[in-house]
Amino acid sequence: MSFLYHEISAFSHVYLILILAYAILIMSSYLILAHLSVRELREYLKKNSFVDYNVLLTSEFAPSLSLIAPAYNEGFTIQENVKSLLSLHYNNYQVILVNDGSRDNSMEILIATYDLVLTELEIHPQIETKKVKGIYTSKNAAFKKLIVVDKENGGKADALNVGLNIAQNPYVVCIDVDCILDKDSLLKLAKPFLESHGKRIIATGGVVRIANQCIIKNGRLVEVNIPDLMMPRIQVLEYLRAFLLGRMAWARLDGLLLISGAFGAFDKEIALLAGGYNTKTVGEDMELVVRMRRYMLENKIPYAVSYIPDPLCWTEAPEDFNIFKKQRSRWMRGTIETLSFHKKMFLNPKYKQLGMLSVPYWTLFEFLAPAIEFIGIVITLIFTLFGLLNWHFFFLLLIFVYFFAVLFSVIALYSEERTYHKYPKQTDFFKLLLAAFIEPVYFHPLTVYAALIGYKEKIMGTKGWGEMTRKGFTKK
Amino acid sequence: MTKIWELFENGVWVKPFLILSICLFILVSFVLYILIIRSRGKNIKREKLRIDYNVLIEKLMFSMLFNDTPIETVKKDSDYIRLSENNFFREVITESLLNLHKSYEGAYADKLEQFYKESGLIKDSFKKIKSSKWEIKCKGITELAEFNSIEAFDAIIKVSKTTNKTLKITALNACIKLGGTKGIIHLTEYPYPIDEWTQINIINAFKKHDIGDTKGVELLLESQNSTVISLGLKLIKELKLTQKIPYVAQLAARATNTIIKYEAQNILQTLTV
Repeated sequence: MSFLYHEISAFSHVYLILILAYAILIMSSYLILAHLSVRELREYLKKNSFVDYNVLLTSEFAPSLSLIAPAYNEGFTIQENVKSLLSLHYNNYQVILVNDGSRDNSMEILIATYDLVLTELEIHPQIETKKVKGIYTSKNAAFKKLIVVDKENGGKADALNVGLNIAQNPYVVCIDVDCILDKDSLLKLAKPFLESHGKRIIATGGVVRIANQCIIKNGRLVEVNIPDLMMPRIQVLEYLRAFLLGRMAWARLDGLLLISGAFGAFDKEIALLAGGYNTKTVGEDMELVVRMRRYMLENKIPYAVSYIPDPLCWTEAPEDFNIFKKQRSRWMRGTIETLSFHKKMFLNPKYKQLGMLSVPYWTLFEFLAPAIEFIGIVITLIFTLFGLLNWHFFFLLLIFVYFFAVLFSVIALYSEERTYHKYPKQTDFFKLLLAAFIEPVYFHPLTVYAALIGYKEKIMGTKGWGEMTRKGFTKK
Repeated sequence: MTKIWELFENGVWVKPFLILSICLFILVSFVLYILIIRSRGKNIKREKLRIDYNVLIEKLMFSMLFNDTPIETVKKDSDYIRLSENNFFREVITESLLNLHKSYEGAYADKLEQFYKESGLIKDSFKKIKSSKWEIKCKGITELAEFNSIEAFDAIIKVSKTTNKTLKITALNACIKLGGTKGIIHLTEYPYPIDEWTQINIINAFKKHDIGDTKGVELLLESQNSTVISLGLKLIKELKLTQKIPYVAQLAARATNTIIKYEAQNILQTLTV
């Protein structure tokens, strides 16, 4: 018996050391990425202060863009959202709104508001999609940029594929119709396509921020506020960390795997050659980027994926736990599906940084992290039951992780302060600081729980997005 | 080595490591918090100071522009004398002058240029050009170009040969403003590719500064660098330089690069229709 006790005790020691090693590994990677991100960000901002984006407004050489906005049951806000898309600062673009078989009155509203009539647009579909019921353009010359496609419901990826088939321009910008775009967002997103140095720019992405409780006027964000509710407030902080301290570094390392589905631009030709959006996953945004990159690497075509750290797109974060749970479990399913479709890339030197760094990183720290945390909790409970837990060590480890989480959020706040300074109100800063202290004990367990639901849904074969109810923005 | 392994194996290091790390995290968080507060305070103070300076600068500049107060009198203003050696004040006054210069033309603009020179602010801009930091160089070049300081042309041309893209665009814009076509002719010898963003900026500079004399643009078509030829073609197309058609026709006939050939033929078609 004493031998068994000794063995379990030794196992407990090894287990705690392993957990500590994992924590140190994840923390070090965060800090390295943050360091790289901040350096890149500062360089970008220095350069950007001398950039005159207006040259693109008057130039006939500005890249032609097709905005693809899939919409499903957005009747409540669609009129204003389309108006906002049509009034962006850019000359050379068209808006393709794809009504993905909405069950509400979206189509009726669009037809009435924008004087739409059925049109015979010649299209040569390269990707198979659900049936297109009709393509509409406006009789009113003021809305000549607008094309509305009415199709059978097939999900977001299918709607985006219809947009890809119809787009007449060489670059497509895929957006969530309910996002609030910065008026110069297209100018900023288009610029990298003109800056290739012997490398083809296949995609560019911008930063997404949380717009809950911000003031919106005529489809534009006019006042930035921090939400009073803790759930969306912590998401502001979470997005700051992800976008300010992560993605810029991945772009620098040429290992960016994800361009947010809310706002990203793609080289249409490459997107089509790679096969368009995958309708078999709910992580279609990440999957497309990975597949396009894989296509370029397998065909040995020099390429780059660009990333713009400016806040270009503002979105509504879930305020309700059930909606949050659906969103995060879907994200986890999307991650699992993408990593599983492209498992061939894992630690495969043929795929360079992508295979050797990005995919293993996502596997270890994005896909496996919630599972490791969950297993940790279970083992801790078992140790407690058997009286094997070294409480002193356990609490030290807990405090160690807690204060690192706080520190990392404070680094994000510091970076925001020294760069974009979007939250100038003193109260907003203190709200975010408070969120940094609360997040590890309130929000983080919820994200782990939602991710575990994602695992379960994946195992059970759940498909689709689930209903995502939005509250809507505060309007002036 | 054995001792280190033993130390690791018996786990003695874990507790001090954790305690030290926790203290470090708390300390760094606190330092960052203080830095954020200080940065916010500094920004507020700076903005307040900027507003105060702008009130004084507006008063002085408007009296010089609209009440014909001589520059010498402005320079003798007690507040101006007190602040003229202050770096931040000089930064604010340069920015104000730049903005005013963008809004005014003719005699008013001339007066502002004269003040820029006589107040010594031009020396600051020349110093900035010599800075080792590219962003400071950019600032200096922008100032000198805005105030039409022709004497800076040679120095800016030198800077425009840099490989730093942002600095290159700023310098080329300035060269075009100050010297027209002369400002970009040296690109014919440029060995590196010029991306489309830089090309669009150069074309925009021609349009923005209304460069009428385009003599020499055709020389770009003789470059060995295909991106420079492409820039020449784009300039001819965008500025509708029909007088350059013979050069474009020659290029279309002799070009071996198919993209350039196609571009030249396309422009010929556009300009001759």
